[in-house]
Amino acid sequence: MYNKKVLFSLVIIVGLLLSSCASATTQPAAPVVPAATEAPSAAAPSAPTTAPAENVTITVWDYYGEATPIKPLIEPFQAAHPNIKINYEAYDWDTTQQKLDVVLTGGTPPDVTTVDMTWIPKYASLGAFADLNALSGGSLNGVAWKDAYTAGALKAITFNDQIIAALYDFDTYGLYYRSDLFEQKGIKVPTTWDELMAAAKALHEGDKYYYEFDADTFHGSQWIYENGGTLLSPDNKTVVFNSPEAVGAITFNDSLLKEGVAINWTTDQGERIQGVKDGRIAMFSDGPYYMGIMKSAAPEMAGQWKVAMHPTSKQNGSYLGGTGLVIPVGSTQKEAAWEFIQYAMQVENQIGVYTNAGAAPALKAALSSPEVNVADPYFGGEQAFSIFLKTMETATPFPYVRTWTDIDNAFTNAMQQIALGDLTVQEALDQAAQTAQEALNQ
Amino acid sequence: MTAIPLPLPRRVTRSVKKYAIPYLFIAVPVISLIVFLLIPMVASLWWSLNDYSGLQPPKFVGLNNYIQLFTNDKIFGKGLVNTTVFVLLGMSIGPTLGLLTALMLNQKVRFRSFYRTAYYLPVMTSLVVVSTIWLMLYNRNGLINTVLQTFGVAKVGWLSSPHVALISIVIASVWQGFGFETVVFLAALQSIPRELYEAAMIDGAGGGAQFRYITLPSLRPVIVFVYIIGIIGSYQVFDQIYVMSSGGPVYSTTTIVYYLFTKFMDLRLGYASAIAYVLFAILVVFSYIQMRISRERA
Repeated sequence: MYNKKVLFSLVIIVGLLLSSCASATTQPAAPVVPAATEAPSAAAPSAPTTAPAENVTITVWDYYGEATPIKPLIEPFQAAHPNIKINYEAYDWDTTQQKLDVVLTGGTPPDVTTVDMTWIPKYASLGAFADLNALSGGSLNGVAWKDAYTAGALKAITFNDQIIAALYDFDTYGLYYRSDLFEQKGIKVPTTWDELMAAAKALHEGDKYYYEFDADTFHGSQWIYENGGTLLSPDNKTVVFNSPEAVGAITFNDSLLKEGVAINWTTDQGERIQGVKDGRIAMFSDGPYYMGIMKSAAPEMAGQWKVAMHPTSKQNGSYLGGTGLVIPVGSTQKEAAWEFIQYAMQVENQIGVYTNAGAAPALKAALSSPEVNVADPYFGGEQAFSIFLKTMETATPFPYVRTWTDIDNAFTNAMQQIALGDLTVQEALDQAAQTAQEALNQ
Repeated sequence: MTAIPLPLPRRVTRSVKKYAIPYLFIAVPVISLIVFLLIPMVASLWWSLNDYSGLQPPKFVGLNNYIQLFTNDKIFGKGLVNTTVFVLLGMSIGPTLGLLTALMLNQKVRFRSFYRTAYYLPVMTSLVVVSTIWLMLYNRNGLINTVLQTFGVAKVGWLSSPHVALISIVIASVWQGFGFETVVFLAALQSIPRELYEAAMIDGAGGGAQFRYITLPSLRPVIVFVYIIGIIGSYQVFDQIYVMSSGGPVYSTTTIVYYLFTKFMDLRLGYASAIAYVLFAILVVFSYIQMRISRERA
């Protein structure tokens, strides 16, 4: 008897909740439409000058951690914009991504957030971020976007003719090497792959002084770019990381391993910094952010390391990433959010990316500033940043396609199989290319 | 809105009055069950039939996600196999080890409560903490390899060899979990009436016969319970993989739930939901089989 009643009331409650739920889930999709229709209309040209008149609060997410260059901006920004209050929230890198996934799909997104540029393929292809070009009226603090950034950086923030992020710090790979050992053994800093092989052989001793690499797309793609290859065809329709250039590139990487002068940094090796400290690693390829890590985690090694362009076979090349500042399309305070991004992108605040976080500011004007281009005593008194600025000129972002994660996984898997010796370079890359092509065709 | 409200039948109003407070009390868990379990389950079932990112409106694709999973997705196939191997290994070692420990602790040993606490301690420890500890133990230059080396055994790539990594995860998981089985078995052992053993002894039954004809049959319901809980739990293995291996190397530790997680992170909510429903179906089948077994034996 009562069972039926309970069941009946349950059905009603479920029905009510489902209907309220349904209306809630359709809401986030709604702002896409007005944003798209507003953009070309009158709003665009007046946008950069019309800061919101009434009092607003914007939420800013920041994944930088303790050395954040963003938090110090909040006080002066609020002083300069008395009508905008900032609700500042700090999360770590992993949490930011997971929380973004959740709030973008069914919650209240922040108005501004830091994003890793490697997340962009997923979010951009789903239209998650507002077009900053429309919001800005075509310029960043009065400088046209194309003049504010290098060509590679501009490519990294552009998707479907929209500017979806303001590149805040950038990441490209250069060669870190133990300059003290090079000097001791009289080895020349390598500029070509042949020289790299010779240097690696001369450096390596027993279980020490390896060239370290990670079997992943960041490092694998660098060899391919340097050998004149790419991951996908220019139209992003065909997987080409099994081309002769790519196979040749990965074969060279593999020969370093086969010669016993390189070490594949698998998870059971622990953190790379450990290998840097205990002498297992004498060379590796990574981005400018790693300078900050070395200074804080291995201060005793000051003066033992330097940075150079990564050796090449045909041309310079690197992946291009970093941190972007974005405005989710679901934000209700896009003008105020844009004001904050513009403030963070002012040259003197961009310099803070270096002085606070030790990372590389992305704005051209900040990169050429004397504050950033100081002689770095940790890195042999040289201007290490100029190396990364140079690598940025030829660096390429990962392709912005919806199934990038699958392609990335397929390639990483192939790199691992090659490093383990399970498959030949050609076999592994052919199989991975097939898997990746299937994903790309979806 | 103009209709005159019909008077409710008296029986209903009376029972509502009589049970208003109890209904109110059960409403809290019932509503939370509906909100946090039933609705997500229904929504997820619907999403599994859609191409859905959460950002774009869902696109109905029928059974395509399921067809893709079983005909085209090699990684999912590998995940199924890996998870099954994990369950088989874990469920054959864990409860056996738990039973052996319980049998030993059931003897007159000194410091029994100390051992009981010691074995149960990992169960109460967060799986992430346990995994982090094992991650350090499995380090190439970690404790385990260092000990092995002193005995002249070559270093093992505990987490870097695709042939070993899954076994390494099983070992860590069994270590973390078998204390639970120990405590459950110990409690069951202590509730077996002593008279049975005394009678058996008078009849001339040895230790082996006593174990086979008294201990094991008495433990049967507990064994079934341990396996139901264990298999359901093991099929959902995630934390250890997330912390220790990220599903690698070469997908050798990619399990169903870890794969589901990667698809969720890639905002393929429809596809991830389909994976969740496949796992759900597997667990339903296992639960049914186990319920049948326990009913027959009882």
